[in-house]
Amino acid sequence: MAENLVSVGSSIQRRDLFDKVTGRADYAADLDLPDTLHARILRSPHAHARIKNIDVTRAVSFPGVSSIVTPFNVPSGRISPDLPILDSRVRFVGDEVAAVAAEDIFAAEDAIRLIKVDYEILPFSVDTDQALAEGAEPIHEGGNLVNGGPIVEQRGNVEEGFAQADFIVEESFSTPAHSPAPLEPRAAQASWDGNHLTIWKSSRGIHADRKNISNALGLDSSKVRIIGPHMGAGYGGKDETRTAVIAAILSIKSGRPVSIELSREEEFLAGRRRHSTKTRVKMGLKNDGTITAIHSTTVMDTGAYLSSGPGVARRAGQGALYLYRCPNVRYDGYLVFTNTPTAGSYRALGAPQGHFALESVAELAAEKLGMNPLEFRLMNHVRLEGQPGERLTPQGEIIDTQPVEGGIPFSSNGLEQCLRLGSKAIGWGENRGDSEIQGDVRRGAGMSMFIYRGGPGGQSRATITVDSQGVYTLQTGVMDVGEGSITVLSQMAAEVLCIRPEDLALNVGDTVTTPEASITAGSSVTFSSGLAVKKAAEDLRGKIVSNAAECWGIEVSKCSMQGDSVVSESSDSLTMADLISKVGLLTGKATVNPGSTKYVVNSFGAHFAEVEVDIQTGSVKIIRYVAAHDSGRIINPRMAANQVRGGISQMLGFTFLEDMEIDPKTGITLNPSFLEHKSPTILDYPEVEVIFAPVVDPVGPFGAKSLGEPPCIPPAPTIANAIYDAVGVRITNLPITPAKVLAALEMKDKFP
Amino acid sequence: MSNLSSFISLTINGETYSLNVDNRWTLLNVLREAIGLKGTKKGCDRGECGACTVILKGRSVNACQTLAISLDGSDVRTIEGLSDGPTIHRVQKAFLENDGGQCGFCTPGFVMSAVALLESNPYPTKEEIVAALGGNLCRCNAYGAIIDSVKGAAGKSPNG
Repeated sequence: MAENLVSVGSSIQRRDLFDKVTGRADYAADLDLPDTLHARILRSPHAHARIKNIDVTRAVSFPGVSSIVTPFNVPSGRISPDLPILDSRVRFVGDEVAAVAAEDIFAAEDAIRLIKVDYEILPFSVDTDQALAEGAEPIHEGGNLVNGGPIVEQRGNVEEGFAQADFIVEESFSTPAHSPAPLEPRAAQASWDGNHLTIWKSSRGIHADRKNISNALGLDSSKVRIIGPHMGAGYGGKDETRTAVIAAILSIKSGRPVSIELSREEEFLAGRRRHSTKTRVKMGLKNDGTITAIHSTTVMDTGAYLSSGPGVARRAGQGALYLYRCPNVRYDGYLVFTNTPTAGSYRALGAPQGHFALESVAELAAEKLGMNPLEFRLMNHVRLEGQPGERLTPQGEIIDTQPVEGGIPFSSNGLEQCLRLGSKAIGWGENRGDSEIQGDVRRGAGMSMFIYRGGPGGQSRATITVDSQGVYTLQTGVMDVGEGSITVLSQMAAEVLCIRPEDLALNVGDTVTTPEASITAGSSVTFSSGLAVKKAAEDLRGKIVSNAAECWGIEVSKCSMQGDSVVSESSDSLTMADLISKVGLLTGKATVNPGSTKYVVNSFGAHFAEVEVDIQTGSVKIIRYVAAHDSGRIINPRMAANQVRGGISQMLGFTFLEDMEIDPKTGITLNPSFLEHKSPTILDYPEVEVIFAPVVDPVGPFGAKSLGEPPCIPPAPTIANAIYDAVGVRITNLPITPAKVLAALEMKDKFP
Repeated sequence: MSNLSSFISLTINGETYSLNVDNRWTLLNVLREAIGLKGTKKGCDRGECGACTVILKGRSVNACQTLAISLDGSDVRTIEGLSDGPTIHRVQKAFLENDGGQCGFCTPGFVMSAVALLESNPYPTKEEIVAALGGNLCRCNAYGAIIDSVKGAAGKSPNG
């Protein structure tokens, strides 16, 4: 590949940032439709109940009320297999019961309080132990253990592997449910014109939304248009919920536009959160440090509805199955319904939970071997050739990005580079050990590494046109959810078309004008839509050049693109506007099935932290943090570095602060607010040094791989390992609060 | 439904408005719903996130925690007041130069907090910057780039 890239690899300004810093960027709640009704949702006060009857008499006659939906007057469709539009059974405190559209939000709020609901209260479970206990009330048909058993993934035979081991290390871990809490609460505005439905909503997949919403409502998808304006982020958590469908039905009933904005409390309760987990990891080793077997078991709380649970559960096993070279591995993932708010996708899915356990156990192994944890990882990390074993995926088929079998190489694997670059940057080795710094403060250093399935996503499409003004327009149905993907895609198109990325016009966020696309998930946009955009740009460039060649009556090979023009070897030149005036609008199109038939495409990295622990207060301070990533070629280095810095800081919430607490007596979520579900602020931000390993992937567009989620995987184990190094206590249950550190120190003193 | 409302007069970004406001309305309701200034965002409506930060009588405040009827005769500046077409405030310019936002939902609030800070303290230290912006949440955690942006906008003290 030519290395003289212009747009790709350049830190151009985020394309929508001007609109964002001036307040001109519109989000879903910012649209003003004339004559709009405002809706509020009535939510269940009970953790588990059957709705026997709903009396809306008083609410209907309340001044300003226009329409009301209840489980008894909505279509019988489903938003997802276990999620009816509204259900006569409620499964957590905060579950949707009914909704009112009124002239203003105050009237809607007052009216929902006048709805009288007759509940038959059912027994409920607030955690996985209760839900799996004998006699527990089933939350869905089929019982509380999803699919009646675990997801099992294995390679080789772990029993044999443990039998070969000289010693075994094992430990149990837990991680809390925490909310992605995007600053923009979910919002949807729906407008039914008697024939067509238009919905403006916060969306990470407008085309998927159209499919789900039209299915649920029993409307032909050609009658449903979804518009996704700027999104105030979601971090994966803005999975489909009932909000937009409720707005749509209220609009159909009232014949007027209806707007629903969730309150902050509702966003915590009825949004999607990260699954809480309990994980046990068992690792068998030879005395020379070779790993003979790894068995990881995770029990995950998926809350009241399934959402993306199976995918999340699968990812919790990813580290155990692939991060270390090992012939015998097994992962058992249990997914359990409880009467708590629904868990779903949240940046890196189950990988942070699984890696927290795995990368803590790796330290136990290194310690027992008397090896430096860096040396242990350098010895055992998975190499470019992948895992030992035989390829099971049929030849010629695109390989799953997380196949359990061995025998398949990675397209690229910069894990060793990340370990070496990161450890060098932090001065690994010099900064370890619990030396007294000042009085009660102890300093230590920790590290961890990760592997992440990312990049290849669903089928991806792109269209690029050039018009008679010489203006190029990119049409893509994939959503920039605030991470900056449209900037990166623009850079790729611009590279091929020899234009400036900021000169590429964008047609995005509307199902009517954009080609079908997958949802923005799994860190797949740069890789998958990137491949489509690059191919569409190449298709268009080919058409431009061949049309010019035809105009001049010369061979295509004698023409090329130069800036805004197409030129020939004999110095003919046409501006794009002139060419298009002659030949008419040109369009480049591409549809790609991203991935490889030869390789697994994964991203890698290693994080390093130096911390200070105060043994009197239990507080932990990050002194230095280095993040080394292999995400292939970096398309926009500054944006990429900021995505890494942000991902790490976001997960300091998971590591130190955030825990959605449920009252065991009532099932009520106790802290649905920013004040009580406290996330990191600018005061907590530790400076992060970001390093990108110089890897160019042979499959990804311009050599790029995935980046969005990976930074979220290693912070918790990196910090837990650093705390252990500093004060000799291992915290196995997140978040690492000062109280837990103090309790662990006390235990260590009493029972050394 | 309560129909209690009051007449107030407000200057917003230099323009004076006479409004009949519902007594339950906050300044955020007035800006977003009555005036149609949507650049000020609603992230929590309870003073916990700073997305609705505006400058009231020279100080940064949460619009969602400011009752509209208490503001008769007040002067308010919002994100829309900082720019005029392509002409933008130096704080906004610094946010562009330092990639000081990701999803952008918190960005207007951060920009307003930074403007208020620099108007009262032109050469803040890093500690003063993070203290002044501590009430603004960014869930993308673009904090590093935001600190860089405010430092960039502040420039260097003539006294070193």
